[in-house]
Amino acid sequence: MNLTLYKRELRGSVRLLVIFGAVMTMYVAIIMTMYEPEMMALLDSYAQALPELMAAVGMTAGATDLLGFMISYLYGFILLVFPMVFSILRGNALVARYVDQGSMVYLTAAPVGRGTIALTQAGVLISGNLLLLGYTTALELGVARGSFPGELPVGELLAVNAGLLCLHLFIGGICFFFSCLCSDTRYSLALGAGIPALMYVLQMLANAGEAAEKARYFTFFTLYDPTGLAAGEAGAVAGSLVLLLGAAVLYAGGVTAFCKKDLHI
Amino acid sequence: MSVLQVEGLTRDYGGGRGVFDLSFSVDQGEVFGFLGPNGAGKTTTIRHLMGFIRPRGGACRINGLDCWRERTRIQRSLGYIPGEISFFDDMTGEEFLRFLERYRGVSAANRKKELLDRFELQPRGKIKKMSKGMKQKLGIAAAFLHDPQILLLDEPTSGLDPLMQNRFLQLLEEEKGRGKTILLSSHIFEEVERSCDRVGIIRSGRMVATDSVETLRGRHVRRYTVTLATPEEAAAFAEDFGGTCRGREATVTARQTLESIFLHYYGGEGESHESDAV
Repeated sequence: MNLTLYKRELRGSVRLLVIFGAVMTMYVAIIMTMYEPEMMALLDSYAQALPELMAAVGMTAGATDLLGFMISYLYGFILLVFPMVFSILRGNALVARYVDQGSMVYLTAAPVGRGTIALTQAGVLISGNLLLLGYTTALELGVARGSFPGELPVGELLAVNAGLLCLHLFIGGICFFFSCLCSDTRYSLALGAGIPALMYVLQMLANAGEAAEKARYFTFFTLYDPTGLAAGEAGAVAGSLVLLLGAAVLYAGGVTAFCKKDLHI
Repeated sequence: MSVLQVEGLTRDYGGGRGVFDLSFSVDQGEVFGFLGPNGAGKTTTIRHLMGFIRPRGGACRINGLDCWRERTRIQRSLGYIPGEISFFDDMTGEEFLRFLERYRGVSAANRKKELLDRFELQPRGKIKKMSKGMKQKLGIAAAFLHDPQILLLDEPTSGLDPLMQNRFLQLLEEEKGRGKTILLSSHIFEEVERSCDRVGIIRSGRMVATDSVETLRGRHVRRYTVTLATPEEAAAFAEDFGGTCRGREATVTARQTLESIFLHYYGGEGESHESDAV
């Protein structure tokens, strides 16, 4: 890790972190405070009126406790998509954009190895994900304490969010890998954004209908099972560990690709 | 002792582009001019020396170290001006230079001030808003900041006005005097002629000639001596055409254009100009 570069890039992440943090604050706060019989009945009536659409983004009726309610209305869409967009934007900017623009010259024309550069940029992306999900966890605990004291089991929430972190590390790994592999931002973005987006669409299809139910075998989102994690199921924990392992492989692959490739800068 | 060594370097991009079996070396304290038209392979060669590209054939060495495998070690004593300069646009010039110092782990406040004064650069504005010339000056400052022993300069004076070009060539002379090894790529013959000891001429990725500057000058500079009616006229003639005079005789020189020099080496239309004395 090069500390000077790390600090610069972390500063470069701040604007996006603030924007995504603010949007997630709004959604998390609004949806969590809807956990009351009247509002739940309203939401559940939506889910019954538009079952496919609501199910596609993971929103299903009939949650009986606060965490189940959050899993249904937050962990199927908002907490998946926003950090994913953050990873896509930052992942592309951290390596591929510098190579494409040519400013990577000034990072490589110095006694700092390519491995160090790539690991530093990986560290920046991982830090961004940690900050975003750490903030979300604190926010959820804060809102729960303020509005529904004693109703949110902390251990279970942490298990759900640890799994979510594994998922986002994996998505970040995909973005980072293609950012390192491609010297052109067009391809870096097409693959780094396209693959996670496609996987999410498959996940929506799988959620929505019986016919497309098999789609769940073709998307890594299936490996993240918040309900299972909350219940402490071994299968759900294993899924998260697979994601974590995949993230490690993707990040390592990205660093290796960056060390070995020709830089036409 | 050779500081820079390129041996049989080959990298084929297809369509006749790339470098092919390119060999040359640059000695300690020497300024080597790398002359060739656009697209001849100058930048590709320098990228190999920088360790940006892995050679597909042959090898590049700096101080005996392989440029691809030992690039990180080599970079400690290397200064580089890229042919196509691109900075971090969100920074000001000052922030960028400070970033580079910290990133490299050197502190060079005096050197930085000296370079900025020399090129009359006030780097307080955002890089995005800088003119081409200002960016070039910033690139020069960035390359010389850490006082490197070896300099790889890819068309370093592009975008500079003649005054600044002169200051840059002065800087090169001083650096050479301090024993630096310099590779200067250019497509401007005068620039290479003024600053280099030896010149390599590259065409379509192949080195067509390496000569000392004297040889090149002898071959491509024509000298005319004319006799005029009065010494005054001779003096005026010499002054107007940038020559010298002795009595009623004035001697002027005419440089060939780069085009005709290239044509000579590239075996263009078969005219070879020898130096003439009239």
